[in-house]
Amino acid sequence: MAAYALRRLLSMLPVVGIVALFVFMLLHLAPGDPAAIIAGDNATPENIAQIRQRLGLDEPIWKQFLVWAASLAQGDLGRSMFWNESVATLIGQRAEPTIALACSTLVVAVAIALALGIVAAAKAGTGIDRLVMGIAVVGFSVPVFVTGYLLIFVFAIGLKWLPVQGYAPIADGVIPWLRHLVLPSAALGLAYVALIARITRATMLDVLAEDYMRTARAKGVAPVPMLLRHALKNAAVPIVTVIGIGVALLIGGVVITETVFNIPGIGRLVVDAISRRDYPIIQGVIILFSGVYVLLNLLVDLSYALFDPRIRY
Amino acid sequence: MIKFTRRTGLQGSLAAAALLAAPAIARGQARPSAARTVRAVMHGDIPTYDPIWTTANMTAYHGGMVYDTLFGIDANQQPQPQMVSRYGVSDDKLTYTFELRDGLRWHDGTAVTTADIVPSLKRWAARDGGGQHMMLRVKDIAAKDERTFSIALKEPYGLVLDVLAKTNSPLCFMMRKKEAETDPMQKIDQVVGSGPFILNLAETKPGTQYVYDRNPSYVPRSEPVSGISGGKVVKLDRVVIVNMPDAQTAVAALQAGEIDFYEVPPADFLGQLQSDPNIKIEVLNALGNVGQVRLNFLHPPFDNVKARQAMLYLVNQSDAMKATFGDSKYARTVSSYFGMGTPMENDANTDWFKGGRNVEKAKQLFKEAGYDGRPVVLMQATNIAVMSNTSQVLAQELRQAGINVKLEAMDWSNVVQRRSNKAAPDQGGWNIFITWSSGSAIGNPILLAAHAATGDKAWFGWPSDAKHEQLRDKWATAPSLDARKAVARELQQNAWDFVPQLYYGQWVQPAAMRKNIRGVIPVPEIIPWWNAEKV
Amino acid sequence: MARPDGIARTALAFARRHPTIAVGGALLLSMALVAAIAPWIAGDPRHMTPSDRLQAPSARYWFGTDSLGRDVFARTVHGARVSLAVGLSVAAASVAAGLAIGLVAGYYRRLDGWLMRPMDGLMAIPAILLAIALVSLNKASVGIVIAAIAVPEVPRVVRLVRAVVLTVRERPFVEAAVGSGSRGLKIVLRHILPSTVAPLIVQATYIMASAILVEAALSFLGAGVPPEIPTWGNMIASSRLFLARAPWTIFFPGACLALVILAVNLVGDGLRDRLDPRLARRM
Repeated sequence: MAAYALRRLLSMLPVVGIVALFVFMLLHLAPGDPAAIIAGDNATPENIAQIRQRLGLDEPIWKQFLVWAASLAQGDLGRSMFWNESVATLIGQRAEPTIALACSTLVVAVAIALALGIVAAAKAGTGIDRLVMGIAVVGFSVPVFVTGYLLIFVFAIGLKWLPVQGYAPIADGVIPWLRHLVLPSAALGLAYVALIARITRATMLDVLAEDYMRTARAKGVAPVPMLLRHALKNAAVPIVTVIGIGVALLIGGVVITETVFNIPGIGRLVVDAISRRDYPIIQGVIILFSGVYVLLNLLVDLSYALFDPRIRY
Repeated sequence: MIKFTRRTGLQGSLAAAALLAAPAIARGQARPSAARTVRAVMHGDIPTYDPIWTTANMTAYHGGMVYDTLFGIDANQQPQPQMVSRYGVSDDKLTYTFELRDGLRWHDGTAVTTADIVPSLKRWAARDGGGQHMMLRVKDIAAKDERTFSIALKEPYGLVLDVLAKTNSPLCFMMRKKEAETDPMQKIDQVVGSGPFILNLAETKPGTQYVYDRNPSYVPRSEPVSGISGGKVVKLDRVVIVNMPDAQTAVAALQAGEIDFYEVPPADFLGQLQSDPNIKIEVLNALGNVGQVRLNFLHPPFDNVKARQAMLYLVNQSDAMKATFGDSKYARTVSSYFGMGTPMENDANTDWFKGGRNVEKAKQLFKEAGYDGRPVVLMQATNIAVMSNTSQVLAQELRQAGINVKLEAMDWSNVVQRRSNKAAPDQGGWNIFITWSSGSAIGNPILLAAHAATGDKAWFGWPSDAKHEQLRDKWATAPSLDARKAVARELQQNAWDFVPQLYYGQWVQPAAMRKNIRGVIPVPEIIPWWNAEKV
Repeated sequence: MARPDGIARTALAFARRHPTIAVGGALLLSMALVAAIAPWIAGDPRHMTPSDRLQAPSARYWFGTDSLGRDVFARTVHGARVSLAVGLSVAAASVAAGLAIGLVAGYYRRLDGWLMRPMDGLMAIPAILLAIALVSLNKASVGIVIAAIAVPEVPRVVRLVRAVVLTVRERPFVEAAVGSGSRGLKIVLRHILPSTVAPLIVQATYIMASAILVEAALSFLGAGVPPEIPTWGNMIASSRLFLARAPWTIFFPGACLALVILAVNLVGDGLRDRLDPRLARRM
C-alpha cells in the first residue's frame, strides 16, 4: 500500500507539469495586459511599453515559461505583479477561510446527503422518495448565488439571526466563526447535498438489488441495520468516488460563494487576479487547486481499501 | 546642526503631547477600540501601493493617507501650502522657492529634507500628465539647503502650484529619497510616507483589507481643514479599507453596521439606504464624473468629421444615464466640453444639444461622411456597469441610424489593451469605446490626457487638431481665471466642431455612511480620512 | 401504418412505462418549441426603453422589465434558445471529443499513457476556474463560453468511454472479431462503439444540465456570453441587485432554469434506469 501511494504521488508530477504548461500558455497567449492595468487610465502607450519591459513581459514566451518553471520546480510560486508579496504569502493569508468553508460544507453536506439518499433508497418508489429526490433536483437546479442571496435576505436582513457577510477567523472565537459559516455553507452545500443524495440513492438501489442483499432480507435481517451495515458499506466505494469528484465542484462553488458572502478566500484572490491579469497569482492558485484535487483523489483511491477488503494495493 | 537638533527637540515634545492626548495609541500595540475604528468599503481594491507607478484611483486613496503633498487644493479649488511653510516666486515669474515646514518626519522617524523632495518631484513629473506639461518649461529643480528648494522655469507658467496641489491621480506625493529614486516605470518596494496614517502591514491582507493606523507623530498644520489643505488632524485610531466587490453585500453590511462607510452605493439602492434611520447619504465629490465616448480618428467612419458630428445628434444622454442610474437626481446631461459645474463650463457652440436628439440629422451626416455599411466596432467592458450599459444603449442608437455596429464584449482589462491598437477595426483595432473621467479633470484642458489632440501622440482615439493644441497652450499660460475662461470658450467652440470625443452624461456618486460618521471632507477624486470621526 | 390514435396509444403506453422520461421529455420539447418560435411570439430581446425600467408584470410587459428597460418576457423566451443551445452544444462537443479520445486510448494501449496524462492534468484544473479564465481572457462570445464549459467535461467522458472499451474488448465477441482478422478501426467502430452509446446518452444529459448551470455561474462572475444576448444565466446575474425590488427579473429566468434542468435530469434518470444502471453512473 505504501509503495502504491508513493508511486501514485510520483505520477502526480507529470500531471502538475501539464497543468503548469497548460495554464501558462492559456494566460500568455490570451489578450489582456497587466502593464496596461498598472499604467492606469491616463497612461500613454509609451508608458505601457516601458512597464511591460520592466515586468519582463516583452521576453519571448518560451523564455518567460522557463524562468517561471525553474522557480516553480524549486517550490517558488513567484511574486504578485501588483503587491509586494510572494504568491505563497498571499495564498497563505487567504487559506483559512477557504479551507473552513470547504470543510464545513463537505462535512455537513455529506452527512445530510447520506441520510437523505439512504432514506430515499429504503423507501424507493414512495412519496418520501419522490419528495427527497424532488428536493435534490431543485437544489441542483438553483444557482448557488440565488440561494445565497435568498438566505441573506431571509436570515441576515429579515430575521437578523446571522451576519450578512464576511469571515471571522477561528482564533477570534468558535461561535463567531461558526455564525459566519452557516449561510455560506448552506448555500454552497445545497447543490452538493443534491448531488451526493442522488448518487447515494442510486448506488444503494443497485446494491439492494444484488443477490446477497435479497438473501439477507430473506434471512430476516432487520431493515435498518441491514441498510447501514451491508448496503452502505458496499455502496461506499462509488459514493466516496463521487465525493472526490465533487471536490472539483466544491472548489468551483467556493469561488462563487466567496464572492456572494465576501469571504476573503483563495477563490476571491484568483477571480480578482484574473480581471487584473496578475499572472503569477492565477498560475499559482490553479496549480495549488490542481495539486489539492489530485491529492484528494489519491486519498479517495486509497480509502477504497478501507471500505472494500477485496481491493488491495 | 544646531537647527536640526532644535527641530528634533520640538518633534519630541509634540510627540509627547500627542501621547498624552491619546493614551490608547501611546501603548502602541494595544488593539484600537472599535469606537475609533472606521471600516470603509470603496469602489474597488487597491491594486498596488505605489501611487506614482499606477494612476488607479484606489492607489491614490491609499497614497492620500500615507503620503503628504507639498500643496493641497482647498475647498475653492485654490492651491494652499501643505508641507511647505513659506514660498515665493521671483519678479520675472521664473523661479519658485519653497521652504519645508517644521515637524515633517517619515514614518521611520527620520526628518523630511529636500534630498527627498527633489527626486520625489522628478519621479512624479515623469508619470503625471500635468507634471510632464510643467516639465517642458522647467529648467531645473534644485535643493538650496536641507529645507529650501526651488523650481526654475524657462518661461512663465501659471499652473505650477495648481499642479503640485491637485487631487487627480497621480497626486504629487512626497516619498523618501530611497523610494523616490526608483525608476518611475517600476514600483517602489516599501510604503514609508510622512502622511497622517501609517499602513499597518502586519494586519493588512492585500485584496481583502488594508489597515491604516493613526500616525502618532504627525504634526498637522494649524489652519482649519479645507479640501486637502489645512491641518490634517486625525480623530480616529484606525481606518480599515475593506474590499467588498459585491454591491448588494456591501449595502447589506452597511445596514447591519458591519461597515461604516460605502463609497459607491448603486443608484437603485439609495432609496432603501435613505429610509434607514442609521444611514446618511453625502455627496463628497460634487463635480462627479463625466462619461466619455472615444471615437477612433484613424479609421472610417470617424476619421471624417461629419461622422463624429453625427454622434452628437445621435447620443441620447438621458437614456444612457437612466440605464444605469434610473431616475436618480444624481445623474444629468452634459453639454459643455468642460463638464457641468466646473469653472470652465460654458455654452459656446452647443446648438446640437439644444435641438435634442435628431436621428434623421445623424443619418444625413453619416451619409455625407460616406459611410458604406462597414462594421463599426464598439468595445463593451462588461465588468463595469456604466460602461456595459452605456455601450448597449449606444449600440441600439447606432443601429437606429443605420450603422452596422459590432458590439464586442470583453472585460475592461481587454479594453485597455485593445484600445492602444492603432490597426483597422477588422484587424484588431476598434472604432468606439466608453470610459469616464472625474468632472474636475474634464474641467481642466491640461491635466487630463484625454484632452490632448496631438494625433499619434494623443490619448486613445488619437484626435488631431492644431487649433485645439494652440488653444490649450494659450489656456495654460493665460494670466488670470477670467482669461482662462475666455480661452475655454474658444476651446469649446472649436471642440464641438471637430469633436475629439463626446459625452454620455455626468453623474455624482453619493457615498452612504452610518449616521455616527462625521466630518468626511468632500474633495474630488480621493477620500481623506483625517478630520473624520466616529461619535 | 399506425393510425393517429394508434400513435397516441403508443405514446400513452410509453409514458406509463417511463413516466420520468415522458414528463421530462415533454417539458424539454415544449421549451424547445418555445425557443424555436421565439421571434414570432416575443419582441426584440435587445430593445431597451430606459424610461420603462423595472416595471412590474403588466398587460404590456407580461414578465415586467429589467433595469435597462428590456422586456423580460422577450428575454426569457429568447433566453431559452441560448441556454438550450449552450447545453446541447456543450453536451455534443464534449461527448464527441471525449468519445474519440476515449476509444483511441482504450483500444490502442500504446497511446493510452500519452492521451490520459494530459486528460488527468485537464481534469485536475477546477472546471469553473478554467472556464472563467478562458472566457475573461478572451473576447466574450457564445462560442468561447461553449468551449470553456465543454473543455473541462472532456476528460470525464474520456474516462467513461475508456472504462467501457477496456471492459468490452475482453468480451468473447470482440476477441472473435480480432481472431477472424478484422482490422482495428473496424472493430472499434462495429463492435466497441455500440457499447458506449447507452452510458454516453445518460452522461450527455447530465453534462447538458450542468452546462446550463455553469453558464449561469459564469455570467454571475461576469465571464459569460455578451450581456446583449439574453440567457437565463446572465439575466439572473445582471438582475441580482434587484432581487428584493424587482423579483420578477429573477423569478422568471430562475424558474425556467430550474425547470429545464429538472426536465433534463428527469430524462437522464429515466434513461439511466432504462439503459443500464451500472454504466450510467457518472464517473
